[in-house]
This record gives sequence, structure tokens and C-alpha cells, in this order.
Amino acid sequence: MSSTTAQSGLARARKGLAPGGAGGGSLNRKSKLSAQTSRTFFWLLLPSVILLVLIHGYPLFQAGIQATHDGNLIATGNFVGIENFQQVLSSPAFWKAAQFTLWFTIVGVFGSWAVGLGLALLLRTKIPAGGTFKVLLLLPWVVPIVVSSTAWNWLVATPDSLIPSIFRNLGLGTPLFLADPTLAAVTVMIFKVWVSFPFMMMMISAALASVDSTVYEAASMDGASRFQQFTQITLPLIARSTYISWILMTIFCVNDFPTIYLLTGGGPVDATTSLVVLAYRTVFQDFATGPGVAIAFLMTITLVVVSVILYRQIRKSSVE
Amino acid sequence: MSAVLHAHPESGPVLGVDEGKPRKVLSEAGMRGRWWRFVLILVITAIVLVPIMVTVVLALTPAPNSTATGLTLENITGIFSKTLAGTWLQNSLITTLATVFVSVAVAAPAGYVLSRGRSRAVSGYSLLLFVMQSLPIITSVVPLFILFAAMGLVDNLMGLTIIYVGSTMTVATWMMAAYFDSIPISLEEASWIDGCSVFGSFTKVVLRNSLPGILSTAIFAFLLAWNDYLVAIVFLRSNEIFTLPMGVQSFFQQNNTDWSGVMALAVIMMLPPIIVFATLNKYFSVGGIGGSLAGR
Repeated sequence: MSSTTAQSGLARARKGLAPGGAGGGSLNRKSKLSAQTSRTFFWLLLPSVILLVLIHGYPLFQAGIQATHDGNLIATGNFVGIENFQQVLSSPAFWKAAQFTLWFTIVGVFGSWAVGLGLALLLRTKIPAGGTFKVLLLLPWVVPIVVSSTAWNWLVATPDSLIPSIFRNLGLGTPLFLADPTLAAVTVMIFKVWVSFPFMMMMISAALASVDSTVYEAASMDGASRFQQFTQITLPLIARSTYISWILMTIFCVNDFPTIYLLTGGGPVDATTSLVVLAYRTVFQDFATGPGVAIAFLMTITLVVVSVILYRQIRKSSVE
Repeated sequence: MSAVLHAHPESGPVLGVDEGKPRKVLSEAGMRGRWWRFVLILVITAIVLVPIMVTVVLALTPAPNSTATGLTLENITGIFSKTLAGTWLQNSLITTLATVFVSVAVAAPAGYVLSRGRSRAVSGYSLLLFVMQSLPIITSVVPLFILFAAMGLVDNLMGLTIIYVGSTMTVATWMMAAYFDSIPISLEEASWIDGCSVFGSFTKVVLRNSLPGILSTAIFAFLLAWNDYLVAIVFLRSNEIFTLPMGVQSFFQQNNTDWSGVMALAVIMMLPPIIVFATLNKYFSVGGIGGSLAGR
């Protein structure tokens, strides 16, 4: 009851101030929000905070403990300090995985961006049934990886699969897409680009949709060539969303597990083992919890640093 | 700023074909260019969709040991009678729908606070969400596995759901916040004058006007939970608790992969996301994710 009175009091105060004009409006909003809301805000935020602590905070804390102990999935083990990190950082497998992760990320980000940009630009022009194509081209991103990796496996896995057979019939030899280390790495990256380009296409399409077409008309009247229009108008206008999409895709690529694991399992001879796959195998197949978590932890630290820097960067550019 | 990236249905579907007003009548050369581009995009789309078409064709083609001819549904009926496909489908639906509901229920109020609150604590929390979302899930999976094992939540659909909610909540919160940003605060102010509490105006005024935002968050949560493999492979052990991704993978554990069976199950698994996307497409914009990231 008392809160109702307080509210009607606030409402009266608001009405009294209202004729004050626009300035009064914002003042009112502030006082209204600060007076009653902080408690409501607390309760609205509470479930989110609890989940964040339980699912993100606590595990991160525990991971820190595990990374400094020589335990397994059952017992924590003894404190070994930075031994796990030393072991990980001195193992060639870690650096090989780090190198693959780096290439996988570079190709994944820029490959899918280039394909997405090309298709977004093409679909922006007038094409019969253009809307249908836009939706159809999203399918690789919508279909679960488990499903698409199964299809890709069927297409390329053995020498008798469809695509190697086509190569053979064209007289190009029989490429072992998943058995040859280099080719397997390339295949996984192409698969990643295939899965991710629709995301880029959507991001770029959304940015392009907000570009006023009269800008181009004015530019072509001034004699700007198509290429000049692209580099001088289109690219700068989509720069912001491009920047954001690169950041998101970098995070997606570094953290990716199923795309790689379901297609190659990390093989052949660890040629497609990324850091996440290595961490997974170290913990759940070699049962070396400490080193496995240490790998994940090193990734985590790198990503936290990178993402905080990038987050600041985005915020800065959104203020401008 | 985020308006540029965060297209709402009222500003036209992001993926729609509204290219503005029709320009001048196309010349003959322009018409020819149109058809060339049509052929080009048709060829590209056909190549891109090969893996998906292969899945569908194999699912409908009779298995090598079958007597059926032409296209058949016997692979699909077969997996439901010969494997636990029905149970897996049910498990996937339960975890996914639970994830969607809880994610929205947690993210909507938190997103409202991020949208309307202007204190240091609120922007700090926003940064925290961003950092947490970029962490590899593998880091939390191991400690959570140990914790959940002690609580009996391993090999358990509830345990799976809790982790899915945890991993969707960060992005879901931003998406909701970005949507709330687009709702003018004057609506709430009007309801405050009418004596509504802050909570009351959130549920009665803001949420009631946020269906597109809620739907797009729900689709995001749906896709994440439905498609997940990493959490499932770590936390699920027994056949009858498997979700569909684990069910599909279980076909590869046998010596001879039953391709007809696995493709039939694959078709079952890809249908729900395609249906959701096809019907609710206009509510979902990845631009929304990017825009909310930029705006926060």
C-alpha cells in the first residue's frame, strides 16, 4: 500500500514538473529511475547474475585450480604450480595445434567474409527470385553441423566417395581429402567457410540495406567507376559491421569444436587438431585434466585480453 | 548507431528483397544482365546446397538391402522402429524448448536493466557478459562435469539444459537489451503516471511490445541448443539419454555405417531448425547480434 502512495506521489510530482518542457522530462526520468528502480533492477538482474556465477564464474575459478594441480576427473590432486603450463608450452603438439587454430581462424574469418560479401553484393542487384536465393543460401548456417558434417563425410571421406570419384573420372587423380594431412586441413577450412559464409552474408546484407541508393547515383553522375564506387562508398559504409563480424567470427573459429572434430576427429596425424580439440582429447581421452585445462586456460586468457581490447574499440567507434 | 545494424521487422526484414522504390525501367542490356546474374546465383546456390541435397536424396533412396524402388520413406520409418530415434528426438525437443523458455525468462529482465540502467555497475556487467561469451566453452565444461557428476546431473537432460541456458544467456541478454533500446521510454513513463510500478510497466508495457525481440532471442537459443555437440558428447553417456546429435553420431560407431539410416535421421534433425527459420526468418537478424554488441 505504501509503495502505491509513494508512486502516486511520484506521479504527481512528475505531472507538476511536466510543463517544464523537454529538460524537465529527462530530469523526471532520472529521478523516477533512481528513486524506485534500483531495487527492481536488482531483482530483474539477479537470475542472470546467479547463472553467470554458476555456469561461467565458478567453472572459471575451478579451472584455475585444476590447471595448477596434477589431478584427474575424480580427484583434484596435488598443487604443482605452473608445471602444467610449462609442460603444455614446451610440447610440440600444443604449438602445432596453435598454428592450425591460427590458420583455421584466418581462413574461416576472411574466407567466409569474402564469399559472404560477394553474394551479398550479387543479391543486392535485381535478380529474379532473389529473395528465395537469399533464404536458400542461409541453409548451410541453419542446418546442424552434425548433419552437414555427415553429408560432407559421405561426399569426400573415402577414395570411392562422390567427389574423389568425380576427380578420378576427370583424370585428376584420386585426392584423399581427409587422409592427406595438408588436404585434410584445407578441407576442414573449406567446410568452415561453407558453414559460416551465410552469417557474413546476413551481416553485410543488413549493412548494405541501410545504404541509400542515391549515394551511388550521385557518384556515378560524378563519373566514379564501379570499382571506385565499391572501394570509396560500399566498403566504408559497411566497415563497422564488417569489423564486428570479424570479431565475432574470430571468436567462433577459435572456439569451434564440432566443425573440426566431426569431419576429421583432429586427424590425420593431428594435422587438423585445433586447441579446443587438443584440450578435449587431453582431458577426456588421455585423462590428463591439468594439462588439458591449462590449454583451455591459455586460450581463455588470450581471448579475454583480445575481447576486452576489441570491446573497447567497438565502443569507441560507436561513440563517434 | 545500432539501428543501422539492428533491423527490426518494422524497418523491413533484413533478408527481404525490399530494395527501395523501383528505379528507371530496365534497358534491354539491363534485362540481359539480370538473367546472367540469375544463372550465376542459381549455379552457386546449386553447388552450395549439394551436401544438403545429398542428405535428402540418400534419406529417401532405398537402402542397398531393400526391395523398394524409387523414392521411399522406409528409411525414416525404419530408424524409428530399429533405433531409439524417437527417444532422441524427444530428448532434443525437451532440452531445446526448456533452454528457449528459461533463456528468454532470464535474458529479458536482465536485458531490460542493461537497456535502461545507466550506472557503472550495469555497464560493468555488460562488459562481463561480453568477456564470458568469448570464452571457450571447453574451459567451463571440465569443472562443470566434475560438479555435475557430484550432483547427479551428468547423463541427465536437466544438466544439459542448465549449461545451454548458461551459454545462451550472454548473447540473449544483449539481443533483448538491443530490442528494448528501440522502445521509447515515454511508453513506460506514461504507465508510471498511471501508477504502474517499474516491474509492472516492464511486464505490461515493455514485454508486451517486444514480441519480435523475444522471438529473435528464442530462435537464437533454439539454434544453439538444438545444434550443440560439444556439451552433449561430454555430458551424455547412455543411449536413451542421447539427444539427436549424439544419435546421429552413434551410427558411425558401427563397423559399417548405415548411410541410409544416418541420412534419414539427419533429415529429421535438420527439419526443425529449417522450419523455425523459414517461418520466423523476418524476426531473426544476425545484425541484431552485432548491433547489440556495438550498442552496449
